[in-house]
Amino acid sequence: MTSISLMVGVPRVVPGVKIVNPMGNEEMNPEAEKRLRRDIATSALNALQAEVGEPTLFDRHKA
Amino acid sequence: MRLELNVVHITKVQFAGVTAVRNGVLSVNRQELRALVKKDTRLTDVDIELANPGDQCRIVNVADVIEPRARTANSGPDFPGAVGMQGTAGHGSTCVLRGAAVLINDYDIGGRRYQRPDEGIIDMWGPGAEIGPYGRTCNVIVLALPADGTSIDDYCVALKIAGLKTAVYLAKAGADLAPDQVEIYDIPSIRETAADMPELPRVTYIFQVFTNQRVPLPGDSVLYGHHIEKIVPTILHPNEVFDGAVMDPYRGYAATYLIQNHPMIKELYQNHGKHLYFVGVIISNAPNNAPEYERTANVAANLAKWILGADGAVLTKIGGGAPELTMARTAQRCEELGIKTALALMHQGIDASEITLKASTIFSNVPQVDAMVSMGASTASPMLTLPPAEKVVGALDGSRIGVEIRRPASDIKGSFSQLGDSRLVAVRY
Amino acid sequence: MTSKPLRVVHYLNQFFGGLGGEEQAHRGPQIIDGPMGPGRVIQSRLAEKGEVVATAVCGDDYVGEKMEAAADEIVQLIRRYDPDIVIAGPAFEAGRYGVACGAVCKKVQETLGIPAVTGMYGENPGVDLFHKDVYIVQTGDSVKTMNEAITKMVNLAMKRVAGHKIGKPAEDGYFPRGILVNEKSERSGAERVVTMLLDKLNGRPFEPEVLQPTHYPVSPAPRIKDMGSATIALVTDGGLVPAGNPDGIESKNATRFGGYGFKGIDCLAADDYDVNHSGYATVFARQNPNRLIPVDAMREIERERGIGKLHERFYSTTGVATRLEMSRKMGQAIAAELKSEGVSGAILTST
Repeated sequence: MTSISLMVGVPRVVPGVKIVNPMGNEEMNPEAEKRLRRDIATSALNALQAEVGEPTLFDRHKA
Repeated sequence: MRLELNVVHITKVQFAGVTAVRNGVLSVNRQELRALVKKDTRLTDVDIELANPGDQCRIVNVADVIEPRARTANSGPDFPGAVGMQGTAGHGSTCVLRGAAVLINDYDIGGRRYQRPDEGIIDMWGPGAEIGPYGRTCNVIVLALPADGTSIDDYCVALKIAGLKTAVYLAKAGADLAPDQVEIYDIPSIRETAADMPELPRVTYIFQVFTNQRVPLPGDSVLYGHHIEKIVPTILHPNEVFDGAVMDPYRGYAATYLIQNHPMIKELYQNHGKHLYFVGVIISNAPNNAPEYERTANVAANLAKWILGADGAVLTKIGGGAPELTMARTAQRCEELGIKTALALMHQGIDASEITLKASTIFSNVPQVDAMVSMGASTASPMLTLPPAEKVVGALDGSRIGVEIRRPASDIKGSFSQLGDSRLVAVRY
Repeated sequence: MTSKPLRVVHYLNQFFGGLGGEEQAHRGPQIIDGPMGPGRVIQSRLAEKGEVVATAVCGDDYVGEKMEAAADEIVQLIRRYDPDIVIAGPAFEAGRYGVACGAVCKKVQETLGIPAVTGMYGENPGVDLFHKDVYIVQTGDSVKTMNEAITKMVNLAMKRVAGHKIGKPAEDGYFPRGILVNEKSERSGAERVVTMLLDKLNGRPFEPEVLQPTHYPVSPAPRIKDMGSATIALVTDGGLVPAGNPDGIESKNATRFGGYGFKGIDCLAADDYDVNHSGYATVFARQNPNRLIPVDAMREIERERGIGKLHERFYSTTGVATRLEMSRKMGQAIAAELKSEGVSGAILTST
């Protein structure tokens, strides 16, 4: 629920996949899922390295 | 669209040889009604029970409450799409047996899709009858079990249809009588009305009917005979909403009876032409994920703004805390488009110990959404001691007869309501 | 109802009790006959209806250092005067004094079974700590508002002793005590909401019945400049716990969190963990706990030196119907532990 996080004031927010599987996707094969998990984790690490003022969404699908 | 409700008052219900209405007494031919319900082969062990106000009777496991109504000749099908053929509700005339109600009872049968826990108690006497409306109606209870080979889902769908058919069957008995009163609901098309009342603010009602935090019952009749768990918001004439197009989802948070007597729609009708121009109802569901509730909020707000030309909107929600997100987002989008909003909230899951009365903790922090009314908090419901009943309807075993029970007041069906009839206000002390 | 004048005992700190200033804050409890200082204002408000029979005085630090024991001692002194009610303060802005007043009042109620009333300013920490247990009158922030504060305190005290119904917080001037009651309005919710909308549309003032929640602003921590040498930790509110939930973390409305080591582990194993959360379908997280705490992905990144080190302890609690106040406290506690262990950044996976 990324919009709640932003509304509540969390400075760095990275979208997960879904509530029931935030860092995974049970519809993928395990290898692909692990790569997805890495991508999300990397997004998170990038967010930690970014200077932010307002609550910011770091969407790995966008530039 | 113009609708006349021909209201016949009922003060007592009884079994008799012929189903008829006379001097306020509704007589029911038990065999005939049973046979009508049994026509649906998905149901077996069909029974009909009666309960009048004052009877020491407790009814449990109530899945829905429906007001007996039947369309009069040339007005089109009853409960279009659900019982009758597809058609349009809300025009012509409908006979209403006011003071009577049909209850459907599923014995709390196992294997139902996730539903709210058993909160459907109706007491016909004592403290329970004071706090919920259905202890004061003359009730006709339809009970049944699933026939062999019928899935639980199909059983629930069939039971609801049985309730609706019963409602029609009973109301037909009063349809030829001169009504005790006639209620008229008349709002023509926007083209005509806008010209008539140019200076009144246009107000729409955004009505959440189903919440996707619950699993929908496939085949459930909610809008013209079909479910609405995936719809985007859509516009209905207010008359359609309460004249049989919209029903409460099976074991929902409201009751079909409440929608048939929709308090918010009634209130807006009272004010129509005097203080506001009631410009239509936008019905919606509450999605369970962010992209969809964003979509719902945008579509609803855009309909209100660009199609209905609303200046103001009243919003209610249905369900627990999650639907508040959809409601809040929709209100926010409306405010951003210049539509002033007012929200009516019944609190569930509120943190009772917080120092000021605030909306649920997942409500969005949006300053323009500042007009909110409280309709009580079910979590602050006092415990009631309900006296032992001589008769219990709707339990598979006899264990509850003659037993005093202690339940929160919110377990009495209709004691808490999200649609506006409640006089309760949650107050901080 | 009763013609007998009320017996009131007043509690003051070292300053208002005439012992001295800060330098007397360590003084122990004592009690004297009759009113003193602000107690005289109480007496004049009570007039013939009551008598301030005694004044208990104690240093703020004495109470601050051992609140329970000190409150006990004070109550033992008070009980000898057989009061009908105890009034403490008002403490205005003074934090230690406010906390002492709250503690004394609470102890009086518990031990002597009589009502107690105090007063202080909204920001006083005593409000946060004691508003649920004790009626705390809202006062201004300075002694200048003494008369007004005492009037409110005496009115509330009289009502409580007489057993009259206490009005809403705004009416009787006290801080809401966190009790939620459903009352009956004369009008239905529909009437009220349509009226409110019409007022809003017509630019008329209206009084909302429900307020927006306030969210405390969070200042972002400065960015991590050198990720290659940073220690990163993993946290979740998805309810991931070791099998058997050894710390008994609740499946909703959590009041506890846990820190769980995974030294030398490259990938969390499903058999070692449970998922204890009533707010979402936990099947996928149970199948693979790395979906909540992504140890497998983070280990790869660690090996490739994308981060300096993966902190080998993850933190977890359950985030459903969990109170804001509790969540804040847990977050602060987790952050403090992580910080003391040299962690510079954390990834919180939320469901």
